[in-house]
Amino acid sequence: MLRNKVTNSLLANEKKSLHRFLVLYIIMMISIISLISIYYYQYQKQLMMLNQRVILSDYASEQARKIKSLHFLFPEQDTYPRDDRFRSGIYDLEYEKIFSLLKSSEIYFDRELYITKDKKIHFIKIFDDYYLGTKYLILEIDDDGMWIHDTWHDIIFYGGFGILIFSIIGFFLLNLFLSPMKTSLSILDRFIKDTTHELNTPLSAILTNIEMIDLSKISEDNRKKINRINIAAKTVSVLYNDLTYVTLENNIYSSSEKINLKNIIEERVEYFDILAKSKEIDFRLELNDSFLVVNKNKFTRVVDNLISNAIKYNRRKGSIGIRLLGNSLTVEDSGLGIESNKLDYIFDRYSRFSNSEGGFGIGLSIVKDIIDEYEMDIKVKSQINKGTSITIIW
Amino acid sequence: MVRSIFILILFFSSAFGNNVYTQNCISCHKDLSYSLQEIFMRYLSAYGGENNVKAGMLHYFIYPAKDISVMPKEFLEEEGIMNHGYIGEKNLQKSIDTYWELYKVKGRLK
Repeated sequence: MLRNKVTNSLLANEKKSLHRFLVLYIIMMISIISLISIYYYQYQKQLMMLNQRVILSDYASEQARKIKSLHFLFPEQDTYPRDDRFRSGIYDLEYEKIFSLLKSSEIYFDRELYITKDKKIHFIKIFDDYYLGTKYLILEIDDDGMWIHDTWHDIIFYGGFGILIFSIIGFFLLNLFLSPMKTSLSILDRFIKDTTHELNTPLSAILTNIEMIDLSKISEDNRKKINRINIAAKTVSVLYNDLTYVTLENNIYSSSEKINLKNIIEERVEYFDILAKSKEIDFRLELNDSFLVVNKNKFTRVVDNLISNAIKYNRRKGSIGIRLLGNSLTVEDSGLGIESNKLDYIFDRYSRFSNSEGGFGIGLSIVKDIIDEYEMDIKVKSQINKGTSITIIW
Repeated sequence: MVRSIFILILFFSSAFGNNVYTQNCISCHKDLSYSLQEIFMRYLSAYGGENNVKAGMLHYFIYPAKDISVMPKEFLEEEGIMNHGYIGEKNLQKSIDTYWELYKVKGRLK
């Protein structure tokens, strides 16, 4: 089910490039901010550890003096020295515990200062003389986590600010990136608009004059030639109407009315009959009365484009099935079909999937525009060399 | 039955170790100016851990010399180095184990 409400005027490849640029930019932005955050976190941690090292080093020297005194007074005095500012423990050179008041048993004898998993800061002082058998004096204080809180606060605040700055830069970069695309599309639109305007008068003259020719009074050979001119003129007429819609009509207010779709379809089948006959294509119609409140001209563009494509991309002696059943309209052909990987792009403006036929590639873009405007759904099924079926559901 | 025999062996070996220590150590050290506790603390501050202390003592008892003694110079000048009385390495080891158990710091701090 294809139901994108916004029909982008950018080509599929350009959109893909744009998406790649955006993904790359976002990844780059997140990577830079993450790296800076990690560096900042590590820096703050080191700063905190440096401060703690100074404090704990003083405590350790004080505690070492007390242990030394106790060594000479032992066993007459056997109370291990306590301090309210920290907890401590002593270990011998074989890492055997002599005495400990530590809460965390996570001890790394090869490190001087570290934070345990249970958020205790350990400072280890190594003794040269083993008083009381002590090689390692371990001091422990609680890590209150304030530095982490402050660091996260800074990371979120400055990181958010960084994202904002990067986003603004990205927005300007994106505009720079899109500028050449928008310019080229604008040039193309302007060219089509100018060309369309110039086509109107000669095309009307051709179609009016063909209608005025009395076919019964001319030779068979000339009648065939006139028919070919008629077919060519009608093909150009469909193209003219599409271009007019793209450049003018879709930008102006259009009034809706209750119309019988069956009548429009029959009228347009009759209009395209001469084109279909030129390729010996048969119409198979299954039309029920179906009323809808839409703008008649717009719905005519939908029907015209679906029938026109079904003729254009059909094989010789093929068939076109049109079914109008309740709340759906299906147009199916027995033509070339569309590759499945291209189905997602068929509604993009200027997308063409066969060079065997002429055209600007705007027909299905117009269909999608109108379908979206009336909040209808559109389904496309296609099989290579079997045909394509397009269903509109409302 | 097996458990009782094991406890008996442990008791006798412990009593035997204590006996060796009493006969060979206390008898000589009782008249010295440094108590066995003081000497132990000097060993402890010099060698640190249990195995290191015991190894240091064993080495000194087998090869007593002034330059490897943990005792101060004055003590050595006054008392000299210990007599090289041979009691066998096994007995020596038992005496050292007993000495360690009697004076060790671990488990005695409050």
